[in-house]
Amino acid sequence: MPMDGREASDGGRGLHAWRRVALVATWMAAASPAHAQDTGAAAASRNDAAILGQSPTSLRIESVTTRITSFNQFGFGYQSKAGPLPFGPGSERAIILEPQLQVVALQGDRFRHVVTLPVDIVTAASPDAIDSGQRPPDVVSAASRNNVAGTLGWSGTYRVDPASDLTMSAGLHVEEPFRSWHGGISGSHAFAGGDTLVSASLLEVYDWFDRFDIVGHREGRANRSSETASVGVTQVLTPGTVVSANYGLTVQTGELGNTWNSVPLWIGERGAELLPSERVRHAFVARASQFLPWNGALRLYYRLYLDDWGLAAHSVEGQIMQRISRSLYVGALYRLHTQTGVTFFTPLAGPEDTLRTADSDLQRLDSQTIGGKVVLDVPVDAPMRMLHFEVGYERYFRTNNLSMDIVTWETGYRF
Amino acid sequence: MKPRLSVAAFAALACTSLTGCATVPQNRRALLADPMMGVTDEPLDAARRQKLYDTREGAAGGDGTTAGGGCDCQ
Repeated sequence: MPMDGREASDGGRGLHAWRRVALVATWMAAASPAHAQDTGAAAASRNDAAILGQSPTSLRIESVTTRITSFNQFGFGYQSKAGPLPFGPGSERAIILEPQLQVVALQGDRFRHVVTLPVDIVTAASPDAIDSGQRPPDVVSAASRNNVAGTLGWSGTYRVDPASDLTMSAGLHVEEPFRSWHGGISGSHAFAGGDTLVSASLLEVYDWFDRFDIVGHREGRANRSSETASVGVTQVLTPGTVVSANYGLTVQTGELGNTWNSVPLWIGERGAELLPSERVRHAFVARASQFLPWNGALRLYYRLYLDDWGLAAHSVEGQIMQRISRSLYVGALYRLHTQTGVTFFTPLAGPEDTLRTADSDLQRLDSQTIGGKVVLDVPVDAPMRMLHFEVGYERYFRTNNLSMDIVTWETGYRF
Repeated sequence: MKPRLSVAAFAALACTSLTGCATVPQNRRALLADPMMGVTDEPLDAARRQKLYDTREGAAGGDGTTAGGGCDCQ
């Protein structure tokens, strides 16, 4: 079950909103007359740069971060044929290794680049059977030995003025038999001395992939496009409280399935999954972060999702952090997700149905995640500023027979 | 599940956040700079968690992130 790695580039699209709030505040403070001494220091620094011959447009690496995550998945779903019964749910067993790399570089005073490279190495993925040499390829029952998917994403953030940022992003995702391109633009503007940050973004994703029938015959190409527009606001309420809210709309058109998913039919056969060719999705997200007096922090998250396939979902998450020392803190998280199924989900469809899916991901389900992490930030001497380590474990499980153990390890170098 | 109630609760939270007009001075923002205080996860952590949920649940997209893609997403 390969996953699309494009999102990593969006996750690394510059700084998080709260960090931008803090940075904008710092910039505005530095630019004010009350900080004339700081301005003088900056001028001296520029003179040093001129003396040393550094170009104002040269790149300076700010951070390099690597993370590797393993997903050990167990479960069954009707979309899989890899089961003991021809019309029962099949195995969704998979092991996924996901290395990620992110490099953040500054160019001059105003330009920040973020390059991300996530890769998925999947032990069970039907597409790999396509290139097995068999004719016709068996993308279903051989259900696959391994598959590799990767994404290269870039985003560049230009600081227009002390209160405004403009970000452009682009990326390519490669996965057999799938190609995807994305591009986006976003902007943010700070008000009230940096206490309020308003942002907006547009994102276009175009997917192009091979079409197969449910027994593995190739049937040409298919494509889909996804357009997303979103707006958000982040607000500093007190010295220890920050909240944010976001609304986004996504419109997808084209082939919205993987084309080889099958649905058990009551006539004793399997038929193709039949999905609408358009999907309109709405999501509302609220976040809050509260400093706790015992040197801890509480982070809350709520997401409401609605779409025109009849799926509504609520997701809530809480994370509590506790600082142990200046360089060490620990965290624990709990997430609960509940969703209604799409209106045309069925584990046993009729042959004349115009819409049908047996994909367990689109079924009514509840899922939970519990986990914890340990984070260590160690100050070091120049040229580096900080070494960053993080190790975490999560257990994901849901009501329709899927569970996963997740172990993640991150190493970062801050310059 | 009552979506209308949830929308109302969300709108109330959004309005509450927008009414935070009192400026927090620059020299009182040290707590906000603590990595524990981020309202979102660290970027790579957020990316891998989003991928997990987008590909295992039917509710991806909408909030400024991608939706669909990969060979088993709708």
